[in-house]
Amino acid sequence: MLKELYQYRQLLKSNVRKEIRGKYKGSFLGVLWSFVNPLLMTLVYAIVFPFLLKSSQPHYTTFIVIAVLPWTWFTTTISQGTSTILANGGIIKKVYFPREILPISVVTSGLVNFLISCLIIAIFLICSGIGFSPYLVFLPIVIILQYMFQLGLILITSAINVYVRDAEYIINFFVSMLFYATPVLYSMSMFPGWVQKILRLNPMTTIIESYRNIFYYQTAPDFMMLGFVFIVSIVVLWLGFVIFKKLEKGFAEEL
Amino acid sequence: MKKQTTEYSIIVDNVYKKFKLVYDKPFTLKERLVFWNKTKVGYHEVLKGINLKIKKGETVALIGVNGSGKSTLLKLMTKIIYPTSGKITTNGKLTSLLELGAGFHPDFTGRENIYFNASIFGLTAAEIDARVQDIIDFSELGEFIEAPVRTYSSGMYMRLAFSVAINVDAEILLIDEILAVGDQHFQDKCFAKLQELKKSDKTIVIVSHSLNSIKKLCDRAVWLHEGQIREDGQTNKVIEDYLKVCG
Repeated sequence: MLKELYQYRQLLKSNVRKEIRGKYKGSFLGVLWSFVNPLLMTLVYAIVFPFLLKSSQPHYTTFIVIAVLPWTWFTTTISQGTSTILANGGIIKKVYFPREILPISVVTSGLVNFLISCLIIAIFLICSGIGFSPYLVFLPIVIILQYMFQLGLILITSAINVYVRDAEYIINFFVSMLFYATPVLYSMSMFPGWVQKILRLNPMTTIIESYRNIFYYQTAPDFMMLGFVFIVSIVVLWLGFVIFKKLEKGFAEEL
Repeated sequence: MKKQTTEYSIIVDNVYKKFKLVYDKPFTLKERLVFWNKTKVGYHEVLKGINLKIKKGETVALIGVNGSGKSTLLKLMTKIIYPTSGKITTNGKLTSLLELGAGFHPDFTGRENIYFNASIFGLTAAEIDARVQDIIDFSELGEFIEAPVRTYSSGMYMRLAFSVAINVDAEILLIDEILAVGDQHFQDKCFAKLQELKKSDKTIVIVSHSLNSIKKLCDRAVWLHEGQIREDGQTNKVIEDYLKVCG
C-alpha cells in the first residue's frame, strides 16, 4: 500500500495545493484567511476571557495564540477530513486512485497552514519579549504526533461518514465540546490533580501543553505523556487504516 | 502460472456483482433507527458469473443492450467498485476513460488541470512535464490553456479531458462510450490516436454502441446479455449475431 501511495505522490502534492488554494479562490484575502481567522479568534478570547477568568497569566494573548493555532489545525482537519470522501464523491465514482490520498491531503494541507502560522507564534514571542528557547528542537516530535493522531481520526470518520451521514454533525459537536476539555484558554495548573488526570486522557491536552511548554514556558515537554500520546496515535492510525480499507470498497456505490 | 499472468492483461474469474437496491435509503442515524429493518431492500444482480481473459495487446469491444452490465464490468476492472464474488486481476498500468474531466477544478487553468488530472492517473511531476506539450497540442486549445476551465465551452472541456487521458501512456485503456467527443475533426483525431495505441501493443477495452467504429477498431467483441456472456469472438461475427437479436 505504501508503494502505491508513493507512486501517487504527485496526486497528493497537487491535491494539497488544491486544498490550500482552491478553498479561498475568489475571496479578497485568499489564503490569508487561514491565518486571519485564528487571529480574530485569539483577539476575541484575549478580550473576553481576562474578564471571566481572573487569570494572572502574563502575556495572556501569547499564551492563547500558541494554543489556538494548533487547535485550529485540529478542528479544520477533523471537520474537513470527515466530509472529504463525500465532497470528492464525483472523482471517486469515476477514477481509481488510492482513496487514502484524500484524508492524507487534508491533514497535510492543514500541516502546511500550521507551519506557516508558526510565524505568527514567532512574532508574538518576539513582541512579548518571551523569545525562543532551545527546546524548539522538540517541536517536530509534537507536530508529527499531532499529524498521526489526526490522520488516524479522520481515516475513521471520513469512511464512516459515507455510510452514516450524521457522523459529520455528531463529530463537529464533539470537537467543539472537546475545545473546553483541552487547555486552550486556560492552563492545567488551575485544576486539582484528579481533574488533570482526566483531562490528560485527551491526547490533544498533552499536545497543546507540549506546544506551550516549548514556546511559552520554555521547558521540555512531558515525555512520559508524549509517550502515551504516541501509543494512542499509533493505535488510532492503525485502526484508521484497517477501518478505511474495509469500508472503501463500498464508497463508489454508497456515494 | 507465471506465464499466464504475463500473457494476459485482464483476467476476470467467475465474477458476480450484486447491487443492493434500497428504497428510501436511510442516510441519517434517525432514519436508520426509526426504520430499523423496515427499509425495503432488493438485490439486483448485474453480472452473473463472468469469465473473460484479455490478452496483452488485444482490442476488445463490449457490446450489449442498455443494462446488460457492460459499464459495471468496466468499473470492476478499474477497481472503482468491487465484485460480490469472484476475482479480477489486471496486469500493468491502467487508465479508464469512464467519464471525462473527472476532478477538473473549474477555477484552475487548463494547464493546472492537466497536472491535476494526470496525477489522478498516477503520473509523477516529471512524467507530466514530459507530456504536457503533447497534451496541449493534441487538445488544440492553444492560448486557452492558460484560462480557467470554467470559461471553456463543453467541447473544449471534453477535448482537454480526452487529451489528458489518452496521453498518460497506460498499458491498459478502458473506454466507456466516449468516442463521440467534440466535432468531426476531433473525433477523427481521437479515432486515429486509438488506432495508433492499438498498434503500439496496448490493451484496449471499449464499451460502445457505435458499432461501425467498433468494427474498424476491434478485433474481438464480447456480447453481454443480462449479465452473462452471450457470445465472444471475432468482431464482425458477434455484431452480426447481435444485430439479428437486438437490431
